[in-house]
Amino acid sequence: MDVLTVKNLSVSFFRTEGEIEALKNVSFTLREGEILAVMGKTGCGKSVLCKSILKLLPDIAKIKTGHIYIRGEEITGYSEKQMQGLRGRFFSMVFQNPMTALNPCMSVGEQIGEMVRLRRPEFSGRERKKRVAELMELVGLDHAGERARQYPFQLSGGMAQRCVIAIALAAEPAVLFADEATTALDATVQAQILELLLKLRERTGMSIVLVTHNPGVAARTADRVALMRDGELYRIGDVEEIFDESTPN
Amino acid sequence: MTNRHLIKMVNNIGKFLISVLVLSVLVFTLSRLAPGDPLYAYYGERVEKMSVEEQDQARERLGLQAPLFTQYVRWLQRAVHGDFGISYQYKTDVKEVIAAGIVNTLLLGGLGFVLIFALALFLGLFCAWREDRLADRVVCRIGTVTSCIPEFWLSLLLLLIFSVWLDWLPSSGAYAAGGGGSLPDRAAHLVLPLSVVVLGHLWYYAFQVRNRLLEEVRADYVLLARMKGLSGRRVLYRHCLRGALPSYLSMMAIALPHILGGTYVVETVFSYPGIGKLAYESARYQDYNLLMVVSLLTGTLVILCNLTARLVNERIDPRMGVRSVSAGGEVRRL
Amino acid sequence: MKKKFPVISLLTLTAIVILGLACSPMMTKDPLYMDLAHCNEAPGKEFLFGTDEMGRDIFSMIWYGGRISLTVGFLAALISTMLAVLVGSVSGCASARIDGVLMRLTELILSVPGLLLTVSLQAVFGRADVYSLSVVIGLTGWMGMAKVVRTEVVQLGNTDFVLAAKCLGGRFFHVLFRHLAPNLFPSVLFMAVMHVRNAIVAEAALSFMGLGLPVEVVSWGSMLSLAERALFSHAWWIIVIPGMFLTGTLLCLTNLGEYMRGSANKRHSNLG
Repeated sequence: MDVLTVKNLSVSFFRTEGEIEALKNVSFTLREGEILAVMGKTGCGKSVLCKSILKLLPDIAKIKTGHIYIRGEEITGYSEKQMQGLRGRFFSMVFQNPMTALNPCMSVGEQIGEMVRLRRPEFSGRERKKRVAELMELVGLDHAGERARQYPFQLSGGMAQRCVIAIALAAEPAVLFADEATTALDATVQAQILELLLKLRERTGMSIVLVTHNPGVAARTADRVALMRDGELYRIGDVEEIFDESTPN
Repeated sequence: MTNRHLIKMVNNIGKFLISVLVLSVLVFTLSRLAPGDPLYAYYGERVEKMSVEEQDQARERLGLQAPLFTQYVRWLQRAVHGDFGISYQYKTDVKEVIAAGIVNTLLLGGLGFVLIFALALFLGLFCAWREDRLADRVVCRIGTVTSCIPEFWLSLLLLLIFSVWLDWLPSSGAYAAGGGGSLPDRAAHLVLPLSVVVLGHLWYYAFQVRNRLLEEVRADYVLLARMKGLSGRRVLYRHCLRGALPSYLSMMAIALPHILGGTYVVETVFSYPGIGKLAYESARYQDYNLLMVVSLLTGTLVILCNLTARLVNERIDPRMGVRSVSAGGEVRRL
Repeated sequence: MKKKFPVISLLTLTAIVILGLACSPMMTKDPLYMDLAHCNEAPGKEFLFGTDEMGRDIFSMIWYGGRISLTVGFLAALISTMLAVLVGSVSGCASARIDGVLMRLTELILSVPGLLLTVSLQAVFGRADVYSLSVVIGLTGWMGMAKVVRTEVVQLGNTDFVLAAKCLGGRFFHVLFRHLAPNLFPSVLFMAVMHVRNAIVAEAALSFMGLGLPVEVVSWGSMLSLAERALFSHAWWIIVIPGMFLTGTLLCLTNLGEYMRGSANKRHSNLG
């Protein structure tokens, strides 16, 4: 069963200058437990794709046509309330810049804890704390107790990104969107984060949509690769296929 | 408390005391600049009937003949012991005169302050949530108009409507003469002046809250918060409000002396016997002793609140991990 | 959300300014003439806005007085803006020591009660006429803006483009005029408009309290100083009409100022 199916999705931004087509007729499927890399130049619509599925686009953007299904059920027409039910449960997202993605006025422990509370309202305070510590360990953050009390500005980029991943994991998602999750990090940390993602996929069986413009990242981590250009998803296939033919993007 | 904290605290207290001292010198000199005879304040019209000798004697008695510096030192010496002299107008100890007024002003200004900031927060949130929709636009329009109405004119208008035409509310004083100041009586006398104080300042702060929140709402972390499954409104209250809080608190700190000290217009129109009225009278009629104490009170409050605001900014906002551009701070120079 | 140009405000303001300056054709009567036979008359055909308790025609006084209120407003704002920009920029550009001293001084003056400052300054001038009042209001109103200017200058000084200019050999004044000034301009303009607004209110409030222009000099503020007595004679026109003009002018200025502050955030809201 495909965990996520997108059919003929078209999204446009309606600015004062006119209509800008961000996604044109995009279709793809995501299988259970697979890592799909979505590659393309900056501005080709990769991020918009993720945000469209999550319905996190700003007011000026509208889904013109298309259908989105999760495990066979159509969610295209879901209201905001229904989407809130999916976000943080079925879907989860890791953002590009951890320093801006985290709330600067809250400690990281609080922010991870909030996700745990939302996902598992039945947990008691102590259980929640335990879960937060578990998650922090899982993503490779040491001294979880101390770290949890720190604020984002006190952490390095790599550590902060791990916190963002911890938050995303706390949602226990079926589909994780990683929107340029490693772009803002240096090469060594990048490698570590990718290893982490692979490990997590092994453990939890979640599917990952890995948005990146870096072919190295895709080659190393993905099962299948989708190529985008100017809002169109023009090619999708197994990672070996795509990279063997050395298709320029 | 570590040594560093202790030193910093002593430093701050020292700066505070010096500021107050310099303030007292300034106020002392400034008050003597004004023309007009303090003798008028003391003796009223009788001054004109007094001979030059009698006037000189009176001045000698009041200690007004000595050079300015001596007068100041004399005042300082007495002030340190708690003796602030006698009000020329009221002929009683300055402290007594002020005590009566302070309660009234604290009621008016204090209540006003609390109301303003509670309502400002609510209004700011209301408008931010409905950004650019009809409700927001209407409230913004109304707010802008009310903020343009001069306080004294609003007072006059309200008096005209509610006191003169409708006769619903009393037109002056803090409580009915001889009434003893029961709660409903005081309340009735407070309604109009309080409304003016609140209406006069409310929109300014509500607008700041609204704009600050709108800035926060454009931050990336809002997207992550929504990704967690939180509704937009929850994100606004739980996350964005936190980000706006430090600046709100420091705004409150700076507003306090401004609101408390700015009641003199309202107090004058409503004949409300508060500090503001005393400040006005003492400035107008050269009641030096009273003027000194009132000015020092308000000035000290300003200095204190500025200090608090600065401390709030440095401590509470975690974003200020890097030193902020506070006045005279250690920032890169050009 | 782009701001629409406040056409109505600009037109109204221009109308008031022009009518105030060229008030002769508007005035049906001599504003200074006290027609004792017609004191406290309600608005009617002869006296369009009624008369005050000294028998002066309010309609004419509005235009004549408007000119004075606006003059005081603009003059005072000119003084306070210039002072604020001067002190603020010097403070922002200078060494930490001088900056600290200047800002402490500013804060000190701010802590002196406004009333006292005004009364003392007026005493220095001796008389209370339009020009001295403008100077007094100007001298008491620059502090707040100076702090803001200083903060902006410091922030600008830390930007990369100023750093680049200095690296390329730009001397102090070159950097000041070529790089800092254009960036300061929008906020200075906004604050200047706000200063005009504040100055007009200040003049009105001071004249009302008897600390500004005397009753013989016609301004909106001094017209309102008679308003308290008007309460008891139920002469609402003395209170309502000058106040409405005052509020209207302030509203126009505020709208203009807000427009000058620039359009709202270019980013879109993430609340959805």
